[in-house]
Amino acid sequence: MRAALTILWDSFRLLQAKKLFWIAIGISILVALLYASIGFDEKGMTFFFGAKDFENPILQEGKPEAAAFYVMIFTDVIVRFWLAWFAIGLALLSTASIFPDFIAEGSIGISLSKPVGRLRLFLLKYLGGLLFVALQVAAFTLIVFLALGLRIGEWNLTVFWAVPVVTFVFSLIYCVAVWIGVWSRSTLFALLGAFLLWGTSLLAQWTEESLYQAANFNPESGLTVDYRTGETYEGEPREKDSMLVSGHRTAKKVVTPLPKTRDSTIYLKRLIKMEKRDTFLSGVSMGDLMSGKLPDPTKKDAMKRFEQRHTAWYVFGTSALFEAVILSLAAWIFCRRDY
Amino acid sequence: MIDTPAVEIEHLRKRYGKFEALAGVSLRVPRGAVFGLLGPNGAGKSTLVKSLLTIIRPTECRGKMLGEAIGSRKALSRVGYLPEHARFPDYLTGREVIHYSAGMTGVPRATMKERTDKLLNTVGMREWGDRKISTFSKGMKQRIGLAQALVNEPEIVFLDEPTDGVDPEGRIEIRKLIEAMRDEGRTVFVNSHLLGEVEQVADEVAILSHGKVIRSGKVADLTSAGRCFELRTRGPVPMEIRQKLEAAGLEVAGDLINIPAEDAGEIQEVIDALRSAKVVIRELKESRLSLEELFLSAINDSRQEVPTS
Repeated sequence: MRAALTILWDSFRLLQAKKLFWIAIGISILVALLYASIGFDEKGMTFFFGAKDFENPILQEGKPEAAAFYVMIFTDVIVRFWLAWFAIGLALLSTASIFPDFIAEGSIGISLSKPVGRLRLFLLKYLGGLLFVALQVAAFTLIVFLALGLRIGEWNLTVFWAVPVVTFVFSLIYCVAVWIGVWSRSTLFALLGAFLLWGTSLLAQWTEESLYQAANFNPESGLTVDYRTGETYEGEPREKDSMLVSGHRTAKKVVTPLPKTRDSTIYLKRLIKMEKRDTFLSGVSMGDLMSGKLPDPTKKDAMKRFEQRHTAWYVFGTSALFEAVILSLAAWIFCRRDY
Repeated sequence: MIDTPAVEIEHLRKRYGKFEALAGVSLRVPRGAVFGLLGPNGAGKSTLVKSLLTIIRPTECRGKMLGEAIGSRKALSRVGYLPEHARFPDYLTGREVIHYSAGMTGVPRATMKERTDKLLNTVGMREWGDRKISTFSKGMKQRIGLAQALVNEPEIVFLDEPTDGVDPEGRIEIRKLIEAMRDEGRTVFVNSHLLGEVEQVADEVAILSHGKVIRSGKVADLTSAGRCFELRTRGPVPMEIRQKLEAAGLEVAGDLINIPAEDAGEIQEVIDALRSAKVVIRELKESRLSLEELFLSAINDSRQEVPTS
């Protein structure tokens, strides 16, 4: 236990010494404060603690739509873009060098000569790398939790799901950086490999999502997209195109073994429970609320099916399997190697 | 328990593909002694130490360290280690480096703080303990390295090229620290190619070449193998006596006579012969092989033994 705490504490010291860690924490807190500055009055939304206001017939003080919208800003914008993109990107830049530096000549000898097993050492060092994101998201989520409570009176503990989910998303990419870092001993290769995997996985998930929209969501909600002009026309629900449906199925099979970084952050919306949003506001998008009108039930149902098309096993289970395989490979190299 | 050797390697082999870095090494390191492992670059010195400390996974290893199986956690918890070209994280202070080693070996917190202060004092780094490693010179880093190696009060300390890159003053201090470790009853295993330094501090040595121990034993015994007496006369040795001495197998060059002998009694006949011929003896001194000479002769012998293909 003493050795485990020592390794984790050392990881914390390493993070403290990184400028990027403090920059990322600083920006995170700024974003969280910006979020906390959003409020609602009897006319609509207010920004910067009431300095600027926008009229909206739905998003008004005391209305459940306003509360749902406030949570959606967190799940659909902040988590999806700031936490899942920039914060993770910065974390990757800061942590990719941990293993290549650790296994360098003259550095690893001291740790390996201690009475701590190699596998334990590897796993603790890996967990230490995850602290970068876990600490950031925890600080961020705490501010969001307080903002939700103070702004809309909802003391919603489920927002803290963001901490394990975003850390899990980071771990999916970080494990690749660790694997390549341990194998090649190069930070540059570790970073390139991780970003390549991240990009590939995102592309695959976008493809699957687009194909689902074309094959299922659009026909179910009666939407027609003119792909030449990009314009969307609303109409009656229609029959699904079997070719597109089969194309989506194939895409999903291709994506299955890959880590679901994007789908995991999207799934967070389902983990953060809000009684009113989850009943009569289910399937209502942020765009609908911003435009001030609620969608018809058919579109709402189609949107709900679209948002809930993946199971937890598909999103987290298969991703965890991917991580386990990559991490096992990295651990195997780490444990078998002569230093 | 105290009588058992600190390290007893029955058989240690390490292969990298077809290359044999350690070709079945056997070695015995007595407790409480300073043991020097010598050898040219690439002889396998670091490989041997790393194999004992589980940094390298040996191909075959039989033996004991501190009475436990080599590589066992029980043994490792009683060991200290300063690697060659030790690199400590720049983000840590000297004190934190020592704390890290203490934590990894399970030293309780309260004891760790007390020992760290004491060790910083011992290695002359008390004033610098709270500064970042990045601000340290090579010598200062080595001192911190020695302190971290001692924080768990190890029974055996492995020092891999401890004076490499350290200035002469620093080397003297490190030597004193090694002597202090021995005085405290620790076994010190020094890996070095700096023979002069090892000779000053080591009680026993082993010479490694091509992955094999080619000579080992107490420094005094090994160097006395080539013991001789050098006798100088005033002016060249007269030809008549010179011929007699050379006929007896002695080496004579001008005014110098080399007499191989284990004991001073063995040279009395030569002195008598010189004195009876009224030759004036100017100087007489006992001469031993230096560790360097021993090392070079051992390495040369081993090279001749290695078959050339």
